[in-house]
Amino acid sequence: MTETPANGGYMVAAYIVAAVIYLGYTLTLWLRARRALKG
Amino acid sequence: MSADFAAARSIIRRGAWVTGLALAGLAGVYVMALQYTPIEARQGLAQKIFYIHAPAAWSALLSFSLVGLAGGLYLLLKDPRVDRFAACSAEVGVAFSAVMLTTGPIWGKPIWGTWWTWDSRLTLTLFLFLLFVGYLVLRAALHDREERARFSAVVGIMGLVLVPFIHLSVYLFRTLHPRPILMKPSAPSMPPEMLRTLLTSFGIATLLFIGFVTMRYGIALAHDLAEAHADD
Repeated sequence: MTETPANGGYMVAAYIVAAVIYLGYTLTLWLRARRALKG
Repeated sequence: MSADFAAARSIIRRGAWVTGLALAGLAGVYVMALQYTPIEARQGLAQKIFYIHAPAAWSALLSFSLVGLAGGLYLLLKDPRVDRFAACSAEVGVAFSAVMLTTGPIWGKPIWGTWWTWDSRLTLTLFLFLLFVGYLVLRAALHDREERARFSAVVGIMGLVLVPFIHLSVYLFRTLHPRPILMKPSAPSMPPEMLRTLLTSFGIATLLFIGFVTMRYGIALAHDLAEAHADD
């Protein structure tokens, strides 16, 4: 029986990267929305 | 004019609500994936990357398919609303692709032993991403509205043609990439906890797509109205 690999760091990195991209894109939309509605 | 601006504001607001709801749902998916789903024995915790990678891939391919369909519709109807939707969907697709193309290699390193391999699925997906980055650059470079819509509709249709190849590439060519677990002819093959989390994550990714596109559409509408106002 093989041991389960210890690779949790990769999972944490992937979850952080995904959150940063989603939140970053949301922020750009929010900033652009504010600018568009001001204009 | 002010009524149109009010419509743009209302669309942005609705999009923001849906996006907020979807982001809260995404946090729920993180909790489900970490707490509720079992650890896969052979892949370990890295397997849980699947719950963010596969839904991002789904939303990216959905976005790009809709760009192609909207492109075809634009060429038939010449309706600027369809072109506007295509542009918004392309941008959102690029954002989802960024998640897909970064989380994939992070999974690949511990499982395959390499960040990247030039096999059919990965190469075609990267090509699709670059095609739609090119689509956005093309749109930014062209100033004539009709010309921009026509040229980008053709690029969008080219992207749509790639989508089924990407889905079928794991069957058509020798590839390291795993075959679909959900979107396949037979029943899904995974424990119920994993299946529930995966289905939830697909639903949330779709909701996030709707929120992003709605918000982006409202912004594009407001921008177009401001441009038309400046031209008058």
